[in-house]
Amino acid sequence: MCECEKKTGRRSFFLSGWGFIKLGAALSFFYPVFKFVKFYIPPKPRFVKIEKNLLVGDVHLDPDFVLFVEKDKSWAVSRKCTHLGCRLNFSEETRHLICPCHHSQFTTEGVRVAGPAKDNLTMYPVEPLAENKGFMVTL
Amino acid sequence: MEEQSCFRQRFCEIKWGELSLVSLYLSVLTGIIVALQYAVETPFFSSSGMDILVPFGLFWRSLHFYSSQGFFVFMLIHFLAVLMDQSYLRLSIAKWIPLVASIPFALLLLFSGYVLRADATGEMAGLIAENICLSVPVVGDVLNDLLFAVSVEGMKRVYANHIIGFLVIWGILCWDHVRKYRAHIREHGLLLCFFFMLALILDAPMELTVLSASHIPGPWFFLGLQELLMYIQPFWSGVVFPLSFLGGLLLLRSQNRLGRVAAVYSVCWLGFYAILTVIGLCR
Repeated sequence: MCECEKKTGRRSFFLSGWGFIKLGAALSFFYPVFKFVKFYIPPKPRFVKIEKNLLVGDVHLDPDFVLFVEKDKSWAVSRKCTHLGCRLNFSEETRHLICPCHHSQFTTEGVRVAGPAKDNLTMYPVEPLAENKGFMVTL
Repeated sequence: MEEQSCFRQRFCEIKWGELSLVSLYLSVLTGIIVALQYAVETPFFSSSGMDILVPFGLFWRSLHFYSSQGFFVFMLIHFLAVLMDQSYLRLSIAKWIPLVASIPFALLLLFSGYVLRADATGEMAGLIAENICLSVPVVGDVLNDLLFAVSVEGMKRVYANHIIGFLVIWGILCWDHVRKYRAHIREHGLLLCFFFMLALILDAPMELTVLSASHIPGPWFFLGLQELLMYIQPFWSGVVFPLSFLGGLLLLRSQNRLGRVAAVYSVCWLGFYAILTVIGLCR
């Protein structure tokens, strides 16, 4: 191999290497963009106070959860459908939580009974307020 | 037979693309007006407040709604006319691909408008779109972060994409095609009058949340997909199925057996989607 061929080979090697460096630099520009977009400042735990005198058997609908009050216990389940996130409605007739988008159904305990959803609903902690003045739900 | 070909010729002679472009101009202009009263932090409050409180608010929102619908519908008819008179075969593949790729962005432009309204339909549509994005393996998170992220960020990102992102991408994809044609608003007075009359007579929809509602229908172009989502996993019904139609349109351009298969597939797809839409309408 002559000297000039050696030089050309070296030059093309460095040139293609330089191309890869430029490509790498361009791609690495997207890394901080995605990292920036991806980050969410974690939300503070939200306490929802329901200052209502709910009786045994009553159901309270909040935009994010449904609160059920029974004799021995009260509990809250999320209104976010586990299929595609639609807001569930409560049917008095069937006593089921029903998704108006794709018709998944859940029991009052959040257990999935029908429809395309696969998982059960999230339960939220509920505490009664002092002097039976209502409930506090932690989201 | 002769009558049929005469109708076909007349149909294809109408400048559907120009009508679509003029509708887009009107949609952008009215969009700027509507945006002056829209608040991202309180989307439903501001859009319903616009209807009830702001002078001419409902008119401007309706005009924006109908002109945007016009843009999308005329664009689809333009596509159909181009396929019918086979003028798309004159385009090179390099020019055909961006034009087909512009369809989902036009759809997203229209769809994000529904979401921004944040009424019963918009809110659900946003959440469904977010979860469909998240169902995409590997890149689902990034896709959702770029397009929707409704449950974490509210309407912030959808709004940014609606007023800038989708429109700019659509513009880039169509620029080479659109720059050749001059669509003057003054030549389409009849169309403008039609939109103005429509906005005066028919109010743009605003669906209030009903707590006991057992079914909330999505936007008209989303009904078929909403139906399919009941039976098939979100990734297959919400991503692969719609993309397969785009794939069919892309392959239409190749003038061999593959092109003919793609044509048959696209027609079958449209027929199937129309059936699903009718089922969705009947619910």
